[in-house]
Amino acid sequence: MMSAPQSHPADGSGWRRGGVQATRRRLVERLVSLLCNMATVVVLFALFSILWTLVTRGAAGLSLPTFMHSTAAPGAGGGLANAIIGSCEQTGLAALIGTPIGMFAGIYLSEFSQDGRIVTLVRFVSDMLLSVPSILVGLFIYLIIVEPAGHFSGMAGTLALAVLFIPIVVRTTEDMLRLVPRAMREAAYALGAPGWRVILSVCLRSARGGIMTGILLALARISGETAPLLFTSLGNLNWSTNLNAPMASLPVTIYQYAGSAYDDWVQMAWTGALLITVAVLATNIFARWWLTRNGTAQQ
Amino acid sequence: MNNITMDRTTGADSTVPALAIRNLDFWYGSNHALKGVSLDFPTRQVTGMIGPSGCGKSTLLRILNRMYDLYPGQRATGEVMFDGCNILAPGLDVNVLRSRIGMVFQKPTPFPMSIYDNIAFGVRLHERLSRTDMDQRVESVLRRVALWNEVKDRLNASAAALSGGQQQRLCIARTIATRPEVILLDEPTSALDPISTARIEELLDELKQEFSIAIVTHNLQQAARCADRVAFFYMGTLVEVDTADKMFTAPQAKRTQDYITGRFG
Repeated sequence: MMSAPQSHPADGSGWRRGGVQATRRRLVERLVSLLCNMATVVVLFALFSILWTLVTRGAAGLSLPTFMHSTAAPGAGGGLANAIIGSCEQTGLAALIGTPIGMFAGIYLSEFSQDGRIVTLVRFVSDMLLSVPSILVGLFIYLIIVEPAGHFSGMAGTLALAVLFIPIVVRTTEDMLRLVPRAMREAAYALGAPGWRVILSVCLRSARGGIMTGILLALARISGETAPLLFTSLGNLNWSTNLNAPMASLPVTIYQYAGSAYDDWVQMAWTGALLITVAVLATNIFARWWLTRNGTAQQ
Repeated sequence: MNNITMDRTTGADSTVPALAIRNLDFWYGSNHALKGVSLDFPTRQVTGMIGPSGCGKSTLLRILNRMYDLYPGQRATGEVMFDGCNILAPGLDVNVLRSRIGMVFQKPTPFPMSIYDNIAFGVRLHERLSRTDMDQRVESVLRRVALWNEVKDRLNASAAALSGGQQQRLCIARTIATRPEVILLDEPTSALDPISTARIEELLDELKQEFSIAIVTHNLQQAARCADRVAFFYMGTLVEVDTADKMFTAPQAKRTQDYITGRFG
């Protein structure tokens, strides 16, 4: 099978063999890596110019009153406190509602897939929800909750966000559970563990890093959503934590302020945008850090 | 009552085989993978199963603890007698069965938890032990698999940090911690280096004092070294079963002879 080792010239000319073919190969190699590098620069430039603009324009509004005062009329020195608390309340509650539902559905899809047709249907619907335009979700909640109730409410906004939140968690839970090796499940069954124990103590444990990342990424996604809140929680000029009344939020406030003619409102919009971006960025970085610490390395 | 219970009654009389298979047939869907197999696994002996890939030896092993139950479309007919009941019978409590017939797999599969919890996990499924008793159980099984000195200072560390050979010994420790009577080993050393393999083979010699062992292996030397009796499978049938000495020196069937001399397989 193996031929006798060939003797190589000792002067190093062996490295330059190949003639035209090799020269062409080297040129293509250079060209492709150049294109890749340029594409990377373009993407990074876009990202950093967005961040730079946000920081330079938004930083001016980062003062104590911004966090202490609610939105006010132009020139009255208002802040964003009501929008910040509204955003935290709605996204936080949406995550609380969406996480268990999404995880259970993901577990169902991954672990109880005996009946192929139901599983295919559930997965299809969930994937559809994943790509549905978020404004449609807002309209849907408007029709089933806001209209019958007769008024906008923070709860409606929360539910709209939850509808967007759930399919992301379903998908990551299912994907992460499917990554758990079959051998590990069988090893747990072989010790005499009942199915629920295997899922809870072995599979979910093994997948927890990835599922946690999915939840954090879903949180980042919904914290910037504007469209589903327009027809649901509407916005509120005053401080309100009442879920049964209209509620302010950062994205909606940005939407309303950014297009206004008043300089201080535009400033607040930039500051709000900076706050959301920093929060999303922090969540993403935390998720990545969490995954490398607790994720696949654990298996 | 004809269901299996936690009471250990096998092994008192070593002339009764730990497991007795009669006329066993097995199907993966419409694929007839085992055909009319009858085989005894003597108590407190090592029974080796050899044969070319796809001959049904691993399939047989996975029937003995009803692992095939996890997959729809797989079914077995015939009889496998263990402690007076047919383990293929519907309605049998498979979780109890699996606590009495343990299994170790080809690849080490530590659970994503600490070394201590890897062992305690299986025990907690079947017994309620005090903290001291559990500590003792963990220590005694880790000593048995000669892992205690290597891990006693880091019982709470993740089991994933152990080497492959250590992980496999941990998996064996985890299996014997539930105090089974039979241990099934599915090519337990094929993912390990020679030194780890040698340690596991030594361990088998030690374990057969207490457990009945069935081992599937692709390594004929391993079968010759470890097994008291060897069964040769070919295309879903049991060709021949005899003591290891006879199988490797004077096999009866032509196929067995061809296989162990390396003419096919």
